[in-house]
Amino acid sequence: MKINSILNGKSLTIALEGRLDTTTAPHLEAELKQSLEGITELAFDLTALEYSSSAGLRVLLFAQKTMNRHGRMAVRGANETVMEVFEVTGFADILSIE
Amino acid sequence: MPYARLALVAVLPVIASAALYSFSRKTALGRLGKWPQQILYGLVFGVLAIFGTEFGVPISGAIINARDAAPLSAGLIFGAPAGIIAGLIGGVERWLAVYWGAGAKTQLACSAATVIAGFFGAALRKWMFDDKKPAWFYGFAAGLVMEVLHMLMIFFTNMDDVQTAFIYVQSCSVPMILTNSLSVMFAVLAVSILGKEKLRPKNEHKKLSQSFSRWLLLVVLMAFSITSFFTYVLQTRFTDRNSEALLRLNIADVKADIEDASDDNLLRLTRGVAKVLNDAEMITDELLVRISSLSGNDFSEINVIDKRGIITQSTNPAYIGFDMSVGEQSGEFMALLGGTDELVQGYQPISKDGTYMKYAGVALTGRGFVQVGYNAERFQQDIDGRVTGATRNRHVGESGFIIIAGDDWNIVSDPHNKEGQNLDRTGIWIDRATMPEYTRFTSSVYGQDSYFMYALTEGYYIIAVEPVSEVLFSRDLSVYVTVFMEILVFAMLFVLVYFLVKKLVVENIQKINTTLSEITGGNLDVSVDVRTNEEFVSLSDDINTTVVTLKGYIAEAAARIDKELEVAKIIQSSSLPSVFPPYPDRADFDIFAIMDTAKEVGGDFYDFYLLDANRLAFLVADVSGKGITAAMFMMKAKTLIKSYADKEGDVAEILRMTNEALCEGNDAEMFVTCWMGILDFDRNTVAFANAGHNPPLVRRRNGTFEYFKSSPGFVLGGLEGIRYRRGELALDPGDEIFLYTDGVTEATNAQNELYGDSRLRRILNTLGDASADETCRAVKADVDRFVGKAPQFDDITMLHLKLMPKNRITLKPTEESMAEAAAFVENALVYSGVPKKIISKMNIAVDEIYSNIIRYSGAEEADIECAVSDGKILLIFRDNGRPYNPTEKPDPNLTLSAEERDIGGLGFFMVKKIMDSVVYTYREGLNHLTLTKRYTE
Repeated sequence: MKINSILNGKSLTIALEGRLDTTTAPHLEAELKQSLEGITELAFDLTALEYSSSAGLRVLLFAQKTMNRHGRMAVRGANETVMEVFEVTGFADILSIE
Repeated sequence: MPYARLALVAVLPVIASAALYSFSRKTALGRLGKWPQQILYGLVFGVLAIFGTEFGVPISGAIINARDAAPLSAGLIFGAPAGIIAGLIGGVERWLAVYWGAGAKTQLACSAATVIAGFFGAALRKWMFDDKKPAWFYGFAAGLVMEVLHMLMIFFTNMDDVQTAFIYVQSCSVPMILTNSLSVMFAVLAVSILGKEKLRPKNEHKKLSQSFSRWLLLVVLMAFSITSFFTYVLQTRFTDRNSEALLRLNIADVKADIEDASDDNLLRLTRGVAKVLNDAEMITDELLVRISSLSGNDFSEINVIDKRGIITQSTNPAYIGFDMSVGEQSGEFMALLGGTDELVQGYQPISKDGTYMKYAGVALTGRGFVQVGYNAERFQQDIDGRVTGATRNRHVGESGFIIIAGDDWNIVSDPHNKEGQNLDRTGIWIDRATMPEYTRFTSSVYGQDSYFMYALTEGYYIIAVEPVSEVLFSRDLSVYVTVFMEILVFAMLFVLVYFLVKKLVVENIQKINTTLSEITGGNLDVSVDVRTNEEFVSLSDDINTTVVTLKGYIAEAAARIDKELEVAKIIQSSSLPSVFPPYPDRADFDIFAIMDTAKEVGGDFYDFYLLDANRLAFLVADVSGKGITAAMFMMKAKTLIKSYADKEGDVAEILRMTNEALCEGNDAEMFVTCWMGILDFDRNTVAFANAGHNPPLVRRRNGTFEYFKSSPGFVLGGLEGIRYRRGELALDPGDEIFLYTDGVTEATNAQNELYGDSRLRRILNTLGDASADETCRAVKADVDRFVGKAPQFDDITMLHLKLMPKNRITLKPTEESMAEAAAFVENALVYSGVPKKIISKMNIAVDEIYSNIIRYSGAEEADIECAVSDGKILLIFRDNGRPYNPTEKPDPNLTLSAEERDIGGLGFFMVKKIMDSVVYTYREGLNHLTLTKRYTE
């Protein structure tokens, strides 16, 4: 999985490309822990994300919880598979999906 | 010589019948249409009828001929039209033949008879013999009846001259009847012999109509003989009486004439005497003598009797004083004293001297009466003139006559002008001592056999004569006509009874029989419906009621049996593995089997079971025979094999033990063929044994199905002590094996063709990588298509086992193996052409499940198996970690907010949601988690 972070002032856009699973989720989690400091707007661009396992969801939930405290978080570009995962797990209600 | 000619003419119809029959069978003649043939036969027999006329034998003015035989034979043997044509030709020619010499008197009768013969033969054939040639004796009978009719027609067309007609008939009836009857009979017989018919059908059971006609014929013949005999006797007696009466009557007439004449004469003379005496002043003997001597009064005596009856005066003084009332003869005259005026007595012997005398008396005025007596000589002289020639023109019957002769046999009257001659010259001899009066005697009179009878009167013989031939003529005529009529009447009676029996009894019985044989043949839906008379109506109704009752019973029994068989079928099919897929957690093989029984229960079976995780036993078997017994034997065999398979690993040994057990008490002599294999998944080999079963088909991965032949052992249950050979067949992942029973290869279509080995191989090879389920159904459909509407005779059973291509990986569950696991599944799915989106979901599942195994199971070894077929993905995880069933875990609460959410348990929940099924089992120390996912391409 590739993680492309684009920082624009206090807003951060993270584009994920590939698969978000047990192996790759820790990388994303590490990346977030580094870069969320001071960010008020976080956006995930999931256009190139193939799928996400529960490990990925765990990281997204961590990000959402974090952003709930100092800003907001949005998810966009999720493909059908990813959307299905969000929906069956109730994440569709938790995340703000654009 | 003339009779030889007659015989030759009579034989012609026989020869013609034989010849035409042979030609019609052996030459082009038989291929002509019906009408040309009939016309040809009609012409030939018409010509033969003409021959019959032209070559007859003349006899007593009639012609004996064999004409009628030809049309009759044509009608009876060859057909109605032929008979009618021949009859018309023969009849018309006979009519015209009068102009060149045939008998005119019989013109109408003979022509008509010939035409009738044609129609008669035609009618008999058509209505009595069902348009078939009759038996020879009917030919004779037909000829007989026809000629009798012919004879009667001669009579009836010649009523104005019966005598001549009778002479014809008398002279020609017997020869003609015989000739024609025999001719027809031999014609029929000749054809029968050529047609190789049995002349005397020797049936053990006679036909009803045959029995009837036989008895009828017997009774008719007896009745005919009896009536003929009685007619003869009666007619003879009757004509005898008639002729006697005729003779007696004629004699009486003549006698009366003679007596009247003599009585008148004497009375006239006596009245003269009485007148003289009345006129006389006084009667004296002398006066009487004087009167007696007067010319013409040549009396023997004159007596005068007073009122007391005493002779007072007489020409014979000896009589004076005689009391008239004393004598019997003289006493009759006493009536003259009681008011009678006149009395005359017959010529009679007088007791006193034995001479013949004739007396007459006339009452005198106021005083007694006068009696005058004649003696024989005086009397004869007196009436001879009256008697002579008196019967000259008298006839007795037609040609009889009367002769009068005197006491001295001198003929005084005779139509043959023999007056004056002695009676014995005529041939009559009368001995009064032995031959009483008024009795009929036979003698040759004037050279002709005659009956005669005589009577004596006034001294004359009166003799009546009638020729015997004339007397017998009327008798013979009566007998002939009666006998002929009887033949006709009895023939009609025979035909009538024959018809009635046929119509009312035989045909109805046949109708009933036809229906009955249909019923006994199994069709209970027909009903008997003969309603011509009460007996048949009641019989029909009884049969129908019986059939309906029977139908009810059969339906009841059938329903019961059906129900029982239905139950048996359920028991049987439930004993075979019928839940598919049978091992949903095994992705390494695919198995399917079907059994379609021909009857409700069959003798085929299949079976398969995992002996352990590594060995699959599978088999197909066929019990000899069908039905309940086969089904029961099948259950026994199946149970035995399974129980031995549980204990014994060697397939050959399993079959051997099964064989021994089946042989025990196998009274029904049944046996089973069986092909059994045990697949070892580790070694990828099938150990098999074959007990007389069809060879299976084997297909190598990406190859084609080929028959796998091995020398089969003996059938199970056939013979004790049989050992089976154990064979080995390598079966690698991707390979397939197809087992079947002979119900498949020996399925038969309407043209009686077998489905066959090659058809089976061909259809299997068109199916490619179809699943076991699809393969079995496709083969069954192909067999059904082939068989079409023909009935299924045998059970159809097949089993298909497919080893899936190997997609299994064994891993040590560490973080490092995660990528390997994911790559293995993804590669397998990509290889199988699974769509990308589905692969993503499968990847999620692998990620979730395998990461759990790594983290929580504590397993040292785990394997993942992935199989794809028919839009279905099977993903199996096995690990030797702690037993843990994730499906029992409660689902996470999805309604909580982000802050409250706990991520635990979400992974497995996601898997459950995105997979079609998740099944957990724990066995042999392993957690098994089987995921399935269906997809469309």
